[in-house]
Amino acid sequence: MTTQKSDYTWINPLAAWGTATGNQSAPSVEVPDIRENWDKATGYKVPTYKVGRLKHYIIWPNHGEKLWTRWRWWPTRRNMLHVTGIYNRKTAIAEKKILDRRPVYWLLCMAFLAIAPLLFPSNMQNTLLTAGTIFGIFAAINVCWTLIIGTASIFSLASYAVVGTAGFLTSWLSITYGVPWYVLPVIGSVVGLVFGLAIALPALRLDGFYYALLTLGLNELCRVFFTTSREFGSASGGLYGADSFISEAWDPMVQSHVGYYTSLLLLLAALSLFRLINGKRLGRILRMAPEKREAFAAACGVDYKRARIVIFLITSVALGFIGGFYAAQYRGVAFSIFSFDTVLLGLAMLAIGGIGKAEGAVLGTLVVVFLDKVLLDWGPMRHFMIGALMLAAVLFLNNGYFGIKRQFNAWREKKRGEWRSARTEKGGEALPEEATEIDDKDQLYFRRFDKIQRDYLKTLITPEIIEEHRRQPLGQHSEALERVLLYFRRTKMEDKYALHRAGPEGPYKIIAFSGQRGVSPRLVDDREYATVDEGYHAVFMRRVHDLMES
Amino acid sequence: MDIFFVLTNAITVACIYGLIAIAVSITWSSLGLINLAYGFVFTFAGYGAWLVAQHINDHPALIAAAGIAMGAAAGVLVCLVVFIPLHDKPNFTTRGMIATLAISLIGSQSFLMFFGPRPKSLPELFGFWTLDLFGVRLTSDKIGIVVCSALMLFLVVRWMRGSRRGLEIRAMMMNPHAASIVGIGIRSTGIYVMAVTGAMGGLASVLLSQTYYIAPFNGLTPLIKGVSIALCGGLGSVQGAVIAAILLGLVEALTNEFLGGQYVLMTQFLFIIAVLVVRPRGISGLLDKAREQ
Repeated sequence: MTTQKSDYTWINPLAAWGTATGNQSAPSVEVPDIRENWDKATGYKVPTYKVGRLKHYIIWPNHGEKLWTRWRWWPTRRNMLHVTGIYNRKTAIAEKKILDRRPVYWLLCMAFLAIAPLLFPSNMQNTLLTAGTIFGIFAAINVCWTLIIGTASIFSLASYAVVGTAGFLTSWLSITYGVPWYVLPVIGSVVGLVFGLAIALPALRLDGFYYALLTLGLNELCRVFFTTSREFGSASGGLYGADSFISEAWDPMVQSHVGYYTSLLLLLAALSLFRLINGKRLGRILRMAPEKREAFAAACGVDYKRARIVIFLITSVALGFIGGFYAAQYRGVAFSIFSFDTVLLGLAMLAIGGIGKAEGAVLGTLVVVFLDKVLLDWGPMRHFMIGALMLAAVLFLNNGYFGIKRQFNAWREKKRGEWRSARTEKGGEALPEEATEIDDKDQLYFRRFDKIQRDYLKTLITPEIIEEHRRQPLGQHSEALERVLLYFRRTKMEDKYALHRAGPEGPYKIIAFSGQRGVSPRLVDDREYATVDEGYHAVFMRRVHDLMES
Repeated sequence: MDIFFVLTNAITVACIYGLIAIAVSITWSSLGLINLAYGFVFTFAGYGAWLVAQHINDHPALIAAAGIAMGAAAGVLVCLVVFIPLHDKPNFTTRGMIATLAISLIGSQSFLMFFGPRPKSLPELFGFWTLDLFGVRLTSDKIGIVVCSALMLFLVVRWMRGSRRGLEIRAMMMNPHAASIVGIGIRSTGIYVMAVTGAMGGLASVLLSQTYYIAPFNGLTPLIKGVSIALCGGLGSVQGAVIAAILLGLVEALTNEFLGGQYVLMTQFLFIIAVLVVRPRGISGLLDKAREQ
């Protein structure tokens, strides 16, 4: 503010021609470079960070002709991948990018699971194959369970009870009546349907957590019933001896491999069921009716209750099928399928991966089964670890591992907004909230510019230029005074000062325009000025006062 | 089998499970948290009381006090780990439920690691004496259990009706948002609620250990029974839970008498399902949305 020299004297350029009457020279202030001031005023004083939002898509080469010849699911016109064709902005070369890469990842993961037995270390081969078999079956169960909890939003905890009941009944039939293995999944499906019908009845009436607690009780009921009943044998910890597609005459390694690949096939079947239900009409209907917006969906004509029950029944059939398959795979079922810990581990699998997503169910199952079945020598520490993982996933993640991306993006948006508002400076400018309300954005820029200019002009108001103006209000002035006067002259008509000549020779009074046509100006005060120059100077002083006040 | 004997048994057990049911009920209605970690609270209090009995003194009052204190401590622990970090996050109800389940998983595994799988037993709290009431022989532990749980329930209800904190909890039950607007701290109320309900769970644990043992996984049955009673009576209603506890006790006694012990769970669940199909929010639960969460 104090860059001007006090002994600066301005020489009127008109003095050379003799036209400068009265102000050949005047003591004034040197004007600082306005560009420096501009840079200083418009620069951010708060540190800013570069936070990008680039999507790092892999760009593939393309050919304009090939853009429309895509692989399609026969006989529909659906594409295999969601690909978009683009032209490079710089080189104008045709390119393409895959917008949804999940099918590629699924394919890679499945291919990895298919060749995984070749990669297992030989000393762990047996453990890993057993764990892999369990992983396949449990992942299939969890994918079906995801359909119930996620797609149908029925918080049922009885999925393992359905599987277990189907498994026990089919094993018992196979042992007692010699039913062959290939019928077991079919009978299991029927059992699942009956069980599903029985527990769908309360689901129609109860909502949310009442149903969850009820199914938790049902699970316990099944456990007590099967462990205490005479037919299902309580001595050996389970019911064994059913017919199986894995012949005991085979080499043990062959048996393990057959078990692994059949359970992998079961997982594939469950995933296709998930895709068929979640990605098609039923799933879309229910995506319209999320929790707490059912009334809206119903008003739009969506029969969400029916859709939920249909999904529940289809999934119960699938769970029954898995139960029968389980019995045919392991020649029976253990009571542990009904135990509270199994439900807990199942919930842990869903919670770790993320409820409502097939990939979440599969990943969660992989993690939990690995901890539970492969790291056997950790003892009770394994379940402790699983519980800790589950707790951490629930405490820190909104929707498990596969919800991290969305949660992180939301968090970053929030932080970005906070930083933006922290950088905003106030005073004459619009606040961010106000700015969004103003339609004419020119107004915002004008207010910003005006503030910068006023701050700058305040530095020029010195006793020297006031004295200069008093000596001669009109005519050529020094640069500092000239800049100040130009700003004053340009102000809007509303409340602009003017001189009113009260008589033919004076005196003069200061008035202020109303700024509205037809509304007369108001008298600012009663003070009278004898000459017009005194009046000009009084108006100038008033404006200076207003400028310094603003 | 004598019907009165079965009946007194059923009432005794119903008293204990009723305590847990009321704890579940109060927690749900005031905090919106479905606390399935009462199994953990139960076992924690049982082991705490056992440690006191082993290492300090086995005076009955001291053991009961230790059980109640440890239960309250476990309740506060659950509150600090689950309720306070999660209560303002999206999907609170689901995540809270899963988190309490995770705590019960971690808890039972830790008990298994520290105390081993062998069950522990607490000394008799009420001595050995019997009372002949109208021709029905009542043993000391039954009378003690009924009197203790009734006393605990009376004190809790009295506290909730008469104290400043109780007023806060009841305000939270009516409308949590309005309660927080008028200056009732959600977190501090959460700690009171969980401490009180945890104390109830702790007392239930000490009382039940008169009949059963304390083992790492023994919290499950009381939890399931308590939750069923709370469901049947209507979450959020103390008198509903009392009615449901008595009704389910009756069902248990009648089933024992006429059908046989192995059908008890079945008839109980059929009864609960029947009640819930007729009244989806339990016997004395409100039919409309009881809690907006």
